[in-house]
Amino acid sequence: MKPSVASLYQAVELQQEIPPLLIGERANANGSKKFRELLLADDYESCLKIAVEQEQKGAHIIDLCTAYAGRDEMADLTTLVRLCAGGLKAPLMIDSTTPEVIEACLRIYPGRAIVNSINLEDGGVNIRRVCRAAKKYGAAVVALTIDERGMAMSADDKLRVARAIHTIAVDECGLRPEDLLFDCLTFTVGSGDNTLRDAALQTLEGIRRIKAELPGCLSVLGVSNISFGLAPAARRILNSVFLHEAVAAGLDAAIVDAARVLPLARISTEDRQVCLDLLHNRQVAGEKDPLMRFIDHFSTASNTAEDEEQESTRPPEQQLFHKVLNGDKDGLEDLLAILRERFRPIDIINQILVPAMRHVGELFGKGEILLPFVLQSAEVMKGSVTLLEPFMDRTDGGSATRILLATVQGDVHDIGKNLVDIILSNNGYTVYNLGIKVPAETVIEKARELRVDLVGLSGLLVKSAIVMQESLPQYRDAGLTVPVLLGGAALTPKFVAESCVPNYPGPVVYCSDAFAGLKAVREFEEGRLQSTRYDSAVAVQPMKPGVRDAVVERSNPVPEPPFIGRRYVQDIDPEALFPLVNTQALFRGRWGYRRGKMSAQEYRQLIDGTVHPLYQDLQHRAVAAGWIQPRVSYGYFRCHSRENDLHVEAEGREYVFTFPRQGEPPFLCIADYFKSAEEGGDVAGFFVVTIGALIGEETARLYRENAYHDYLMLHGFSVEVTDALAEYWHAVMRRELGIGAALGDVQDAVTQQYQGSRYGFGYPACPDLDVHRPLFEFLKPETIGVTLTENMQMVPEQTTSAIVVHHPQAKYFAV
Amino acid sequence: MSETTTERHICANCGYIYDPAAGDPMNSVPPGTAFSDLPEAWVCPMCYASTDQFDLLD
Repeated sequence: MKPSVASLYQAVELQQEIPPLLIGERANANGSKKFRELLLADDYESCLKIAVEQEQKGAHIIDLCTAYAGRDEMADLTTLVRLCAGGLKAPLMIDSTTPEVIEACLRIYPGRAIVNSINLEDGGVNIRRVCRAAKKYGAAVVALTIDERGMAMSADDKLRVARAIHTIAVDECGLRPEDLLFDCLTFTVGSGDNTLRDAALQTLEGIRRIKAELPGCLSVLGVSNISFGLAPAARRILNSVFLHEAVAAGLDAAIVDAARVLPLARISTEDRQVCLDLLHNRQVAGEKDPLMRFIDHFSTASNTAEDEEQESTRPPEQQLFHKVLNGDKDGLEDLLAILRERFRPIDIINQILVPAMRHVGELFGKGEILLPFVLQSAEVMKGSVTLLEPFMDRTDGGSATRILLATVQGDVHDIGKNLVDIILSNNGYTVYNLGIKVPAETVIEKARELRVDLVGLSGLLVKSAIVMQESLPQYRDAGLTVPVLLGGAALTPKFVAESCVPNYPGPVVYCSDAFAGLKAVREFEEGRLQSTRYDSAVAVQPMKPGVRDAVVERSNPVPEPPFIGRRYVQDIDPEALFPLVNTQALFRGRWGYRRGKMSAQEYRQLIDGTVHPLYQDLQHRAVAAGWIQPRVSYGYFRCHSRENDLHVEAEGREYVFTFPRQGEPPFLCIADYFKSAEEGGDVAGFFVVTIGALIGEETARLYRENAYHDYLMLHGFSVEVTDALAEYWHAVMRRELGIGAALGDVQDAVTQQYQGSRYGFGYPACPDLDVHRPLFEFLKPETIGVTLTENMQMVPEQTTSAIVVHHPQAKYFAV
Repeated sequence: MSETTTERHICANCGYIYDPAAGDPMNSVPPGTAFSDLPEAWVCPMCYASTDQFDLLD
């Protein structure tokens, strides 16, 4: 078993898959003024809050230290340990040097704690007592490399003291090597003291040697000591770079302020180089020593980790630029009031805000920032413009390029179009957003009336691509010539170039995402926007993955369902769906938290520190507010296949589902997986599942209120919870059919590690939504609140439908 | 094997993991094929996303 510690609620591995284990350092009366003041006021509840906050910021373990002159450490620490035992998910690190206090805390803590710490300062008295207590209560122990001579400075001394501690703790007191976390105690490289110039190197080497020579033992480090004496903003950067170096040397755990660890990608190359030169004590001929270079660099450089003091000394126009860049809305009103004394509102927008958003777009294009952060920047832009509008003339901004946006007729999906709206309107353009299910006639009428410069059309499903194709001749016949931008998941450059461009006199342009839309608008302004072109001679046709078996087995048994006909289910606990949510698709795909240029460690920190807490918060809020109302209409029906058709008996009638067949080998069709009448017929399952309309209403409210970031988060969450419900119900149906064991994990579901398949309507094996017509006639999902639009899409959006196939060879394929 | 030939990649759209050790039978890609050596036309066998939708996992 991997060495772990535990709280009442969870076990945490000491060696994280992607190190380091983060130990929160703020619940410390010596290290945090805020914590100390709360403790001095006997405000234990607020002390607990500091612990909880760190957990939310990504700390895996919380260090708790109440030793302070004049306080009763025994009373304080035992009280807080009790509070934390119930109120904190993260396991505790009991930080004390008093054996009685440590023993008392271990006795009452209902998990496996870590003791911080033991050393050999007193020649070996306390260490034995604490180790025996740790052995008795099953705790892990932090061991500092200190002996009677003091803190070990060189790598040799660090290893020597560690060996001595190892002998006592393991050989004498019976602890296991993996119960020990050695802390090599780094000295600062910021003091200018000649004997400490190589302090970082000695510590890194100490970590390497202890890990190599005391096998099984772990290492921990209070990282921020490396930068004592330096300026706060520079410290944060140096600490982050040092942490990275220490992990590379083998560090397992770090005592840090989890909220202040910077991902390496957010540190500029120059900043990083200056830090590395200081840590590695690199002298460069003809230049100052590395510490002086470090201090010079950070006294002038505008570093990525802006600190507050520095922030307020910047000119206000730069402050606003950085607020947009960092998605920081605090103090916007005051800052804009100052700026308005010097600039016209329209100039603040055009000279500061728009260039800032342009810069954000460029960073996104280079993969340096992620979509959620772009949306936070857009919120600052929008908030600024809203604050400036009362001071603007009506004519201001009248010359901006005007764009009409619409989701096409019959299509209810608006997230894509709304992202385009957010990006364009917050880059200074005038956007008219007509909403969803907009008929071509309305687009034509509004385009004329509003004298727009471009039209943007959006739509998710295959059917919507056809609607776009068919509406372009209508636009042409109505006399429109303005460029048309097309976006949507089912579109390809080939389809746009070959099927859309020829039907319209103006440019028709495929846009893969909102930023491609922004690029197209800029090209329009520069007079060089051109229709999408597609050269089939050089273009690569995407492969068509899928089942290769050409022969579908005919002798498979037909399972007996528990009932024939339709049933409704409404009593599903939303919490039962969360374990089936595909968090990878949610975080990376829906939310845009892609790894990009981050290292595995930085990405893990982003996920643990930012994304996962956000996800958990959404779960809690969704359950508390009742946003998720899972409802199912499903059933099992006798059926038989005839070529591409599936004949389904329901309520004394026969319904025919016509499925498309692949145009190339192995020429599959969903109907192939069912037996013909001659073969004795078969059984098909169908379902329509929805999580209801409430969550969509809440999502729409966030969009109306310009909470762009939360809008994207909640929308993505709603889509993935809907999919989790489909996954959940598919598993129920497999169980009812007797063809499925217990639910596997999400990865198993992704790769279809189960018998049979579910084919969603509107997806690659069956892109045609017309099969919804017969399906709705006998599943009657109107009872659970689901209806169809004129082109067969389901409302609410958070709904999904499928045919459940039991045939063992049935897996995803594309026609 | 060098590092790049064993690195796994994950599909941001659906969570499918391409592992060179397993290859991708659905696209007739043999085991031992590095992600960077996949054909240009290769797409996710589960959701048909192209390679730019994949993140390095390891």
